[in-house]
Amino acid sequence: MRVAVISGSLATGIRIASEVERLPGVEVLIVDCNVRMRSPLLRWLRELALALQSVRRRGYVRKLWNYARSGKLVILAHSLNDRQSLERLKSLECDIGLHAANLIYRQPTIDVFRLGILNAHIGILPEYRGRSVAEWSILYGDPTGVTVFFIDSGIDTGSRIILREFIPPEDCRSVQSLKTMLFGFDAILYRQALEALASNGFRYSHNEVSRGKRYYVMSKILSKSVDNILKAGVR
Amino acid sequence: MDLETARSKSARADRRTILHTALLERRAALRQGWLRLLTAECLENLNSAAESVKSLLSGQDGFHDWTLAASHPWMDSKAGLAECLLAIGTGQPMGCWAAVVAPTPLSFAAFQQLSSKDRVETLSLRYRCPLNIGGEGESEMAEELLRQLMVTDRAKLETGAEFDVDDILLKLNLVAVAAPFKRDLRFLDSLNYFYELPHRSLCRLRRNPRLLAAWLCLYAQLLCAPDW
Repeated sequence: MRVAVISGSLATGIRIASEVERLPGVEVLIVDCNVRMRSPLLRWLRELALALQSVRRRGYVRKLWNYARSGKLVILAHSLNDRQSLERLKSLECDIGLHAANLIYRQPTIDVFRLGILNAHIGILPEYRGRSVAEWSILYGDPTGVTVFFIDSGIDTGSRIILREFIPPEDCRSVQSLKTMLFGFDAILYRQALEALASNGFRYSHNEVSRGKRYYVMSKILSKSVDNILKAGVR
Repeated sequence: MDLETARSKSARADRRTILHTALLERRAALRQGWLRLLTAECLENLNSAAESVKSLLSGQDGFHDWTLAASHPWMDSKAGLAECLLAIGTGQPMGCWAAVVAPTPLSFAAFQQLSSKDRVETLSLRYRCPLNIGGEGESEMAEELLRQLMVTDRAKLETGAEFDVDDILLKLNLVAVAAPFKRDLRFLDSLNYFYELPHRSLCRLRRNPRLLAAWLCLYAQLLCAPDW
């Protein structure tokens, strides 16, 4: 199985690739996107800053070098949905893309991948689609967690769910720490999802959109209430 | 529950109390700050409604449950939409009655393609009695108005782009009217979100003082509604 991590930074790409490459029979590539189409100088300064923040810098540089040397690091100069980027992606002949960039994918981009693009959504589907879903879950007293599913061109409406992992807020005392904690599960859950997909008799869960709602960015006042709920340890 | 009771209960902190305390704090802030948004000049434009608006916004916490007035599947009104919204917002009686014929269902796809001017016209005509937006059959429309506000419209206000004041205020008002029918916090929170936008963006809403006043009154009431 050929898998591409579609990342918004090399540091994220390396982090997820390192987890997924442990799977037997999986070949991993990193596709680094210039998400906000920054100028080359700004883009590489940002990459450098993120690399320096990386805890295991030695490992990072070695891995980056290995990926680059083996032709498994693809740096896109144009936006992901651009025709030239699509041609480049097509040439990679990947089975699956792993979403790790702040991007909206158009259908032609999704179609480049034989099986599609996986998203580790920090909410439980089908109930919680859209934005601020971790906060809304807490506000309603519902379980928090991550759902890995194949995206389509809608907002969290892709019908094929691979796995849903319920992850309680535990010691999180703020919305920010909760979201950081949930986002941090992406690499492990992508690996588990790929494992599941490769297993015999795997069946998708259906993302029944009518069972849920689309949520939007939460206001400051409700976000503060969620902070207070987390601080108070209300479950 | 008043703000002091809510605050004292908040110490014992259950989810609902925390939420109600926050909403009542926002109501208190609105009571103090509404004049910064709805200026004396705006109030002059409200004519006879000005006193009820002032009294509602500066007055005590209270919610006049307008869902109780929706007594028929489809209702009609002689007054215009803005007048009805002001009446609901200020807790005044509103001249609405059962419609002889309900309008044909709105083509959802066509609605999404309308220009902002046509959208204002369509919404004003269809929801002449704004309580109709709370009806079961209008759920999809209410959801679409919420989506437009929270995706495209908020982006326009946040980036300082041009926007149609009537269009946005009309949607804010209709979403506010729909909120207690739905008992869905997403509807209330879209009002929270817009209220929190930078003052310079909100000031541009003064171009339609009647709809701005109606929105603030509806919002003030919803913050005190007991069912969230």
